[in-house]
Amino acid sequence: MEKLFDIDLEKISTSSKQEAQDREKNFKFFLENGFPNKKDENWKFTDLSSIIKKNFKKISNNYDFTFNKKIEFIKDFQHNYIILVNGIFKFSELKFEEKDKVKIESLASKEISNSNNSGNLQYLNKALSLGGFNLEVQADYKLKKPIVIYNYFTSSLDNKIINNSNKIHLNENSGLTLLEYNIIEKSKFIKNTFEKINIGKGAVLKNIIIQKTKSNGYFYKNILGSQDYDSSYQNFILSSGLKFNKIDIDMDLKKENSDCFILSGLTLGEDDHQEIKTQINHLAPNCKSYQKIKNVLESNSKGVYQGKIFVKDVAQKTDAYQLSKALILDDLSEFNAKPELEIYADDVKCSHGSTSGSIDQDAIHYLMTRGIELDKAKKLLIKGFLNEIFENIHENSLKKFLEKSIEEQVDGIS
Amino acid sequence: MKSEELKNQEYKYGFTTEIENFKAPKGLSEETIRFISKIKKEPKWMLDWRLKAFKRLKVLKEPNWQKPKYPKIDYQNLYYYSAPKSMKDKPKSLDEVDPKLIETYNKLGIPLNEQKRLSGVAVDAVFDSVSVATTFKGELDKKGIIFCPISEAIQKHPELVKKYLGSVIPISDHYFATLNSAVFTDGSFVYIPPNTRCPMELSTYFRINASETGQFERTLIIADKGSYVSYLEGCTAPMRDENQLHAANVELVALDDAEIKYSTVQNWYPGDKDGVGGIYNFVTKRGACRGKNSKISWTQVETGSAITWKYPSCILQGDNSVGEFYSIAITNNHQKADTGTKMIHLGKNTKSKIISKGISAGKADNTYRGLVDIGAKAFNSRNYTQCDSLLMGNKCGAHTVPYIKNKNSSSTVEHEATTSKINEDQLFYCNQRGLNQEEAVSLIVNGFCKEVLQQLPMEFAVEAQKLVSISLEGSVG
Repeated sequence: MEKLFDIDLEKISTSSKQEAQDREKNFKFFLENGFPNKKDENWKFTDLSSIIKKNFKKISNNYDFTFNKKIEFIKDFQHNYIILVNGIFKFSELKFEEKDKVKIESLASKEISNSNNSGNLQYLNKALSLGGFNLEVQADYKLKKPIVIYNYFTSSLDNKIINNSNKIHLNENSGLTLLEYNIIEKSKFIKNTFEKINIGKGAVLKNIIIQKTKSNGYFYKNILGSQDYDSSYQNFILSSGLKFNKIDIDMDLKKENSDCFILSGLTLGEDDHQEIKTQINHLAPNCKSYQKIKNVLESNSKGVYQGKIFVKDVAQKTDAYQLSKALILDDLSEFNAKPELEIYADDVKCSHGSTSGSIDQDAIHYLMTRGIELDKAKKLLIKGFLNEIFENIHENSLKKFLEKSIEEQVDGIS
Repeated sequence: MKSEELKNQEYKYGFTTEIENFKAPKGLSEETIRFISKIKKEPKWMLDWRLKAFKRLKVLKEPNWQKPKYPKIDYQNLYYYSAPKSMKDKPKSLDEVDPKLIETYNKLGIPLNEQKRLSGVAVDAVFDSVSVATTFKGELDKKGIIFCPISEAIQKHPELVKKYLGSVIPISDHYFATLNSAVFTDGSFVYIPPNTRCPMELSTYFRINASETGQFERTLIIADKGSYVSYLEGCTAPMRDENQLHAANVELVALDDAEIKYSTVQNWYPGDKDGVGGIYNFVTKRGACRGKNSKISWTQVETGSAITWKYPSCILQGDNSVGEFYSIAITNNHQKADTGTKMIHLGKNTKSKIISKGISAGKADNTYRGLVDIGAKAFNSRNYTQCDSLLMGNKCGAHTVPYIKNKNSSSTVEHEATTSKINEDQLFYCNQRGLNQEEAVSLIVNGFCKEVLQQLPMEFAVEAQKLVSISLEGSVG
């Protein structure tokens, strides 16, 4: 059998002997069990091991690359930006903001800090991570414009693996809208990201993940976060178009009155595989969480939603909601869901709903009797189905941009 | 029911019957299996089947993914066969049955005496490892219905047993099912001939009496084309400080246009207030809707057992077949339940409905775990699932773990779940009208469970309603 990996750990520049040893140790841990498969409950519906084996051989690390392309910026709204190339921090510009209020820097590679054990991919990340960015917003400062992270991937990444890790910290009463924008050239590669988010008292973080074009990326992202009093975290996942994408969010609502929103609208095309896995831990009273996952599936695609709400015994007056809806457009596609509740407090309101099925034929009929062609009627209904998730975005230009991106996705449906 | 009465009714089936027992040697081994097979005078094919299961068992590992964890079971320290001594030579009629046994069943309110015709239920009573009596045999025989202990069916109807035993739960299924296949001692066998409607409810009553004994019964129900049967199952056990294992297998087969309704009121000893003792109820129940337009309906009221771990399932193979699952699971004190269902849609136009009500009080944990799987060829299939949980106090837990898989674009799956506590307004309303707290809770909980209780046959519904009240005793205030 051909070797799956072709990685030379010595090529990674390390700052100390200790670090080199740690990397070696973590890589050994990873190799013991390899990529996760269906035996792991967290990967119940997604056999990553066989997906990787089917598509990759001789996976190597991206030690060095050249970058000389000009990035095509988003023109629809004004924004600050960070440029990451192949997962590594390159450049940032914050022209709309006050100096010293926002700190962005390259994160040293060894500062990988997700403490909960997320299994084998974390070992892999610890072994191979080349860093990422560290973003901190000072207390009482609300950014005037969103920050866009241009996540650029070069064309030299075939059969490569990228491991990086980021840190985002919002101090008391600060506010930030962060838009992750993936731009991928034609190459087939794996990305394994670990991100730590810390939201202070009264702070608000809006995190939007979006994808520019269809690509051959195989992405895994793990977000571990914690929230203080009255804070808010809102995550919008719109990253359609990757061959494989799993976003794994583990959020602790540590203090009272915090809220967490996870909203996703995805259209999955040819052979795409997308999974959203969430775990929202209600650890204090009066917190709210709200999840709405919408998938449109066609052409042998697979959508997965694994959501878990955990309510600790002290977390009375919790309000938690989960909804996953899927539209399945052909018989080769499939949608799997596992909306899970684990509740130890009695005065709570927790509910979930999950539906999957085809487009409502009555609605199509209604539109067609009013002179709209079948194809257009279908797309209109799909757009309506997906657009619902933007209720929480109030910046007009940003909202329009996102709606446009959904529209482009839907128009791509055959 | 007054609260005083409730208090006195802690677990009224907790008595032990002093009766001489005849046991197999302790421990799980090939000898034990040969012993059971020999004492049952089984043909060779049955022994081979058991040994095949035992061989497979050696390879299998005990599953450990479930929510309620339990201390390791010492399988070598269990008796796999225990029978009242007086049963060694099977009595021909009820008159020959040990009066102590009859007394036991009378205490339990089971009408073994055929004189109690009014109740109109045919009963097969299983005491520890053997079936002690089956009533109404004559009447059923007239219609060609076979209702007898499975050990008798193995001898008298080998062709049916051979054909269907293990066809729904294969011997290599999972640890406890395989263990059952190797050592099962008795259970009920039902065959309903084509186009026959079983004139009465069939019922089996299971009782664990002896200590250090595991009960492994096996039930097989076959409803031939166009037939109908309603089957009831009840269980109790004495109060003991040790945990006892109950690992049963139930297989249902419904052919074209047949319908099976299977109701369970499970009231095994749940352990005492501090969680000492009680039954481990690890049961595999599975039904196959093999024929077109067939239907299998599971209704369960789970109030007993220290740990309940079971998923009555339906495999919807035939086109237009229907699967239903209605469940109430009540856990109090230290009880734990991990229960739910699996609906596997394979045929076209198959439908399934799941209604699950979980109630948690004291320090209990209650989990609904279910699977709805719509296969790629199950066109126009439909599932509706509703799981509601009720929590009383903040020391207990309620969990919902549904797995939903849909591979077909013309099929629809809907799932809804809520978790809440008893509505204060409803309680206040009841209190105002002179009901005390406990009566009010019992009333509201019975209302919460109504959808499921309605599915039970009359005789059971009354008993189940009472059970619901008793199980929650002491959980309020």
